[in-house]
Amino acid sequence: MKLFVQVDGREFEVELSHVAGKRVMLIDGEPMEVDYRAADALGQVILMHAGKSYGISIEGTTHQVHATLAGHAYALHMEDERERAASLAAKAALGGGGPLEAVMPGIVVEVLVQEGQQVEAGQPILILEAMKMQNEILAVAPAVVASVHVKAGDTVPAGAVLVVLRGLES
Amino acid sequence: MFERILIANRGEIALRVIRTAREMGIECVAVYSDVDATAMHTRMAHSAVALSGSTPQETYLNMDKILDAALATGAQAIHPGYGFLSENAEFARRVMAAGLVWIGPPPGAITTMGDKIESRRAMAKAGVPCVPGLQDPVDDFQAALTAAETIGYPIAIKAAAGGGGKGIRIVRQASEMESAFRTASGEAKSSFGDGRVYLERYLDHPRHIEIQVLFDQHGHGVHLFERECSIQRRHQKLVEEAPSPVIDPATREAMGQVALQAAAHVNYEGAGTVEFLWSNGEFFFLEMNTRLQVEHPVTEMITGVDLVRQQILVAAGMPLEITQEDLVIRGHSIEVRINAEDPSAGYLPSTGVLHNLRMSGGPWVRLDTGMFRHMEVGLTYDPMLGKLIVWGPNRTAAIERMKRAIAEMNVGGVRTSMPAALMVLEHERFVAGDFDTHFLESLEIRPPEQYLRLIVAAAALYRHGLVERSAMDPLASERRGWRERGRREYSAYARRQLERGESQ
Repeated sequence: MKLFVQVDGREFEVELSHVAGKRVMLIDGEPMEVDYRAADALGQVILMHAGKSYGISIEGTTHQVHATLAGHAYALHMEDERERAASLAAKAALGGGGPLEAVMPGIVVEVLVQEGQQVEAGQPILILEAMKMQNEILAVAPAVVASVHVKAGDTVPAGAVLVVLRGLES
Repeated sequence: MFERILIANRGEIALRVIRTAREMGIECVAVYSDVDATAMHTRMAHSAVALSGSTPQETYLNMDKILDAALATGAQAIHPGYGFLSENAEFARRVMAAGLVWIGPPPGAITTMGDKIESRRAMAKAGVPCVPGLQDPVDDFQAALTAAETIGYPIAIKAAAGGGGKGIRIVRQASEMESAFRTASGEAKSSFGDGRVYLERYLDHPRHIEIQVLFDQHGHGVHLFERECSIQRRHQKLVEEAPSPVIDPATREAMGQVALQAAAHVNYEGAGTVEFLWSNGEFFFLEMNTRLQVEHPVTEMITGVDLVRQQILVAAGMPLEITQEDLVIRGHSIEVRINAEDPSAGYLPSTGVLHNLRMSGGPWVRLDTGMFRHMEVGLTYDPMLGKLIVWGPNRTAAIERMKRAIAEMNVGGVRTSMPAALMVLEHERFVAGDFDTHFLESLEIRPPEQYLRLIVAAAALYRHGLVERSAMDPLASERRGWRERGRREYSAYARRQLERGESQ
């Protein structure tokens, strides 16, 4: 099955298969020969490629991974064909809406909308305090509030879903 | 000498003080908030007192609780570290009123230097150079032209009611004054409802350079040369070094003398730092920090002087162990701050659990940190997790050593500022010593392209491993936990794996 890996604004297609008991990897159709060994269960990995050894630190989930190599940091997003189809279908169903996520960890000061409420583009949805500053989180397009996932006083990590909007465009 | 001291701080600086105190045979009392019950400083002190609560106000800023802890444990002195109560004159007074020794400057010096306007007035009186300009607004462009002659070009016209860059105009020659004055005044009026403007010398390519000073209680003071701190963003320093690549011996001596003069004027005692703005060979007083600074290790590395030891000796009333003649600069030192923030996303704060830590080591590498495996990084306290410090026989060697040390380091679980520091160290302008306080802001932090395919391969195989493991153990793949908590950056699954790994 194909895996789509996004990193630094680019997307790579990875195919992983087993041929005669040997693992074969193709990145964008080109063979990539690597030897991958986990040094511990915490994310220390040794990658051997073209006669060179790379110590990589890697942590995350099956979808969001963060890796460090030689001091440089990489944030990667991954999904396979099936997951991509599902997420595209979900996006279509939401019609230009979708989940509003916290871009930074913070504290919810006030939620300004309720479920089922219609909002205009630019209308404040909630106020999030982060880095000692209050930030208004705005709707980017006209939408209906499908669900609200936080309340005033909640501490949220980066990436937390705050509200889900259903777009009115489609 | 003291038998026991209390350290009213947390994190790497509490540890830093504990280390020197232990070497001096002094017992250390740590204080800790609820979330710091397992912190390194709590563990490494001889004893630890709980300050119940978790906000800074309830704990490390709570004077009553800290004084009670000191008196209850029989500590004879309090070291405040930096931040928290370190520049709080009231706390210093209360420490002394309680019959304890305050390891810091006299409260009067803290008060004078803590007020921006008062400190500049005091420094002007002491003959310390400040940025030339007028405190009072100018009425019209004719008056501005006259004033500009004494201040010297280039001139910055600033809104009296202003801030945030609004209403600022740069005037490089007299012919530009009339139109610049009109637009600055107009912008000030529309932005702040107050059209008054004042003039100040505009500093081209300013650099932040500071001088470390040390005074005993007997009027003897030394300066320990400069630190170059221009690699900063919104006044938050990221990379510091000593000595500065732009300061020649004559300027160093001049700045050192001015710093001594500034500190002596307020009857300073202990370790302090006089900060200057430097531009095209001229330097001007900015402010004085009346405490130990975060970046003090680079000075320790090039002088061989343990500044915390000196602070403690001075507080105990002993004369300084060193004279100005003893002090020489040996080699070069660089420090990089490890902040929990994401430089590729506008330096937003990053939170998480440090479950994948790999520390730097090797010759002439010093790591001052309170980090430990499984430490939770939240939003309650300062995002600085630690500092990486290196020494080299010269600047080039120190830069190469720091690049090597950063490559060895991994702080898995949160994003850190280290990739930004690495980009700075690799940049030709930094290597050439050609940078100012705006340099860091101008850098876009992106990983190098050359390793992208390798990283993609590693990520794909990492995912493959996770999927394979979850196929063998369906319970472990349950993702309900982290979905409900709003997709935290670490999964419940990864944590369970971790715990399993630990218990094996």
